[in-house]
Amino acid sequence: MRILVVEDEKKVASFIKKGLEEEYYAVDCAYDGEEALFMVEANDYDLVILDIMLPKIDGLEVLEGVRGKGLTLPVLMLTAKDSVEDVVRGLDAGGDDYLTKPFAFAELLARARALLRRKEREPAGEFRVADLALDPVTHKVSRGGKEIDLTAKEYALLEYLMRNVNQVVTRTMISEHVWDYHFDPMTNVIDVYVNHLRKKIDLNSSHRLIHTIRGVGYILREIEEDAA
Amino acid sequence: MLLKTIKFKLTLWYVVILAIILSSFSLFLYFTLADSLYTGVDNKIKTMAEIVVSSARSPFGAGTSITDLDQIMTKRFGIRPLGRFIQILDESGRVGDRSTNLRDVQIPISVQTLKAASKGKTTFETVEVMGKYPLRVVTMPVTENEKMVGIVQVGSSLEGVEEALQQLLLILLIAVPVALLITSAGGLFLANKALRPVDEITQIARRIGSGDLSQRIRIKRVNDELGRLASTFNEMIAKLETSFRQVRRFTADASHELKTPLTILRGEVEVGLKKKRGMKEYQRILASNLEEISRMSRIVDDLLTLSRADMGEVSMEREEIELSTLAREVWEDLQILAREKRIQLKFMDDGFTKVEGDPLFLRQLILNLTENSLKYTPSGGKVELKVKGDQEQGEVRIFVSDTGVGIARKDLKRIFDRFFRVDKARTRNTGGTGLGLSICQWIVQAHEGQIAVESTVGKGSTFTVTLPLKD
Repeated sequence: MRILVVEDEKKVASFIKKGLEEEYYAVDCAYDGEEALFMVEANDYDLVILDIMLPKIDGLEVLEGVRGKGLTLPVLMLTAKDSVEDVVRGLDAGGDDYLTKPFAFAELLARARALLRRKEREPAGEFRVADLALDPVTHKVSRGGKEIDLTAKEYALLEYLMRNVNQVVTRTMISEHVWDYHFDPMTNVIDVYVNHLRKKIDLNSSHRLIHTIRGVGYILREIEEDAA
Repeated sequence: MLLKTIKFKLTLWYVVILAIILSSFSLFLYFTLADSLYTGVDNKIKTMAEIVVSSARSPFGAGTSITDLDQIMTKRFGIRPLGRFIQILDESGRVGDRSTNLRDVQIPISVQTLKAASKGKTTFETVEVMGKYPLRVVTMPVTENEKMVGIVQVGSSLEGVEEALQQLLLILLIAVPVALLITSAGGLFLANKALRPVDEITQIARRIGSGDLSQRIRIKRVNDELGRLASTFNEMIAKLETSFRQVRRFTADASHELKTPLTILRGEVEVGLKKKRGMKEYQRILASNLEEISRMSRIVDDLLTLSRADMGEVSMEREEIELSTLAREVWEDLQILAREKRIQLKFMDDGFTKVEGDPLFLRQLILNLTENSLKYTPSGGKVELKVKGDQEQGEVRIFVSDTGVGIARKDLKRIFDRFFRVDKARTRNTGGTGLGLSICQWIVQAHEGQIAVESTVGKGSTFTVTLPLKD
C-alpha cells in the first residue's frame, strides 16, 4: 500500500513517514500544494494524508484539483483547524476522513487502515487465501496455522497480492503500490522479492499460491488450476 | 407585565395629570358660573325691591297696589317683571298685597328675617315654596322716620339658574370622562408608537445576548432620541463584533501555533515508543523534542508579554537612554549570527540619540527588528542598522534595512498583526513565533513613537521607528 503524506512541517511529515513505513506502507512526502498535485497525478497512491494549511496551494484546493481530475483515491485530512466549519468544508471538498492535530499516531494508523479497507470494500479483520492468513493490524502472517516471518517489503508485497487475490498484478502495479517514489522500476528487485516471498509461503506446502504470469506479472490464486 | 411597562406608566401619568387639570377646571367653571348666576339673580331682585320700596314711600305710596307696580315697572324699565314675585307686608308681618303670579301662595318670612328687617336690614334667602325649583327672596324693610312701616319681599325663581347649572354639571360629568378616555387611548397609542423602536432594540439585544453579533437595529429616524440610541447601540455592537472576531482569530491562531509543536512532540514520541530503538535514535528524538519545547516556550513567553501589555500590566521604566549605545550593543551581539549566515551587518549612528524609555524593551525592539531582517535576508546579503537623531524635529529614528526577500504590498499592512506570516513555512523554519513584530509595535507605541515599513519584493525592506528625542 502506497501513501502520500502532504505536510509542510518537515518534522511532522518525517515522523508520519517513519511510523507508516514501520507498518510496511510505502510512503512519499510532498511539502507544498503544488508538489502534492504533481505527485498525485504522477503516481498511483492508495491513500493521501493531506494537511490543509500548505504553502503555494492550500490543502482544500489540492483536494478540489484531485477530485476535479476524477481521482477517487481516499484522502485523510490532517489539520490543526478543528472547528465544525473547517471539518465540514474539508469533507465537502472531497475528503474521506478528518483528523485534527495533535493526534494519536495509533488513531492515524487505524483511520488509514479503515480508508484502505473502504476503498476495496473489504470487511475488517484479517485476509485469508486458502490456508494463508495475514493480519493487517498485527502484521502476523501464517500458513496452515504456522507463523511465517517476513521482512517489511515481503509483507507489503504479500498484502498487496492478497488484496488483489485472483487478479493479475503487473510489475508496474507492484512498484507503484509497494515501493515509494525513490524506487527504480528498471531493476529486477520485484522478482527477487517475489522469489523470497514464494520460498517462505509456498516451499513447505504442496498447494502453490503465487504464480508467475510470464511477461506480465504475478497472481495469488485461491484455487490451484490445472496446468493450462 | 403590562403594568410595569413604560408606555403604561407614561399613559397613566398623562391621564392622571389631565384628570386633575380637567376636574379643577370643571369645578372652577361650575362654581364661578353658579356664583355669577346667583349674584345676578340677587342684584335683579334687590333692584326691584328698591323700586317697590321707594314707590311705597312716595306721597301716593300707601295706596299703591301691585297692579300699579306692574305699570310703574313697565313705564320705568319697559318690561314687566315676569317671573318675579312681589309681596308686601305690614310692619307686623301680615301680608298686605302680592303680585298676581303668586296666586294663593305666600312667600314665607322667618322670625329672624322679620327681626333683621325691623332693624332696617335687608336679607337674602333661598326658600322652597312651590314647584321643584327654590325661590330666591329678598326681604327689604320700608322705613319712615327711622321706623319700619312695612316690608317688601321680592322673589325670583331659580329655575333658569338651577337648570343651567345642572346642564353644565351633566356636560362636565360626561365630557370629562369621555375626554379622559379618548386621551388615554391616544396617549397609549402615541407611547406605543414612540416606544416601538425600544421593543425592537430589546429584541435585537436579546438575540445578540444569545451570541449572534451580526444583528443590527434598523434605524428609520436618524435624528431623534431613539434613532441616536439605536445608532449608538449599533456602533457598540460593531465594535464588540470586531473585537470578538479578533479575539477568536487570535485564540485560533495561538492554539494553531501551539498545536504544531505539540503534534511533533506527540507523534515523534509515539512513533519512537512503537518499538525498541538504538541510542542514536532516542537521542535524535529527544533533541528534536527539546527544540519543539523551546519553540513552545518562546511562543508562550511572547503571548504572555502581549497579553500583559494588553491588560496594561507591564510597567515601563522611564530612563534616559543613549539609543546609539543600545543599538551598538545589539549590533555586536548579532555579529555571530550574521557571520554564520554570511550576511554583512552594518551599524551607523548620527547626532543626539537620547531618548526616555525602558532599556530592556527598547533593546528587545532593536534586537527583534534586526534579527527579523537577518532571518529574511539570504546569504551574501546586507543588513543595516542606523540610529539618527533629528534635533529640529525632536525625534530619533532607527532604520533597519535589508536586502532580503521583501514583503508584498497586500501583506504590508498586516505585517504587525499577531501571528500574521507572509509565508508560514519559511517563518517556522527560521524559528519565529509570528509575534515578534506585534511586540515591536507595542513597545514603540508604549514609548509614544511610530513604526513603519517600506518594502519592495525581491529587493528588501526597511523598518523605521521614530521615537521622541529627550533634550
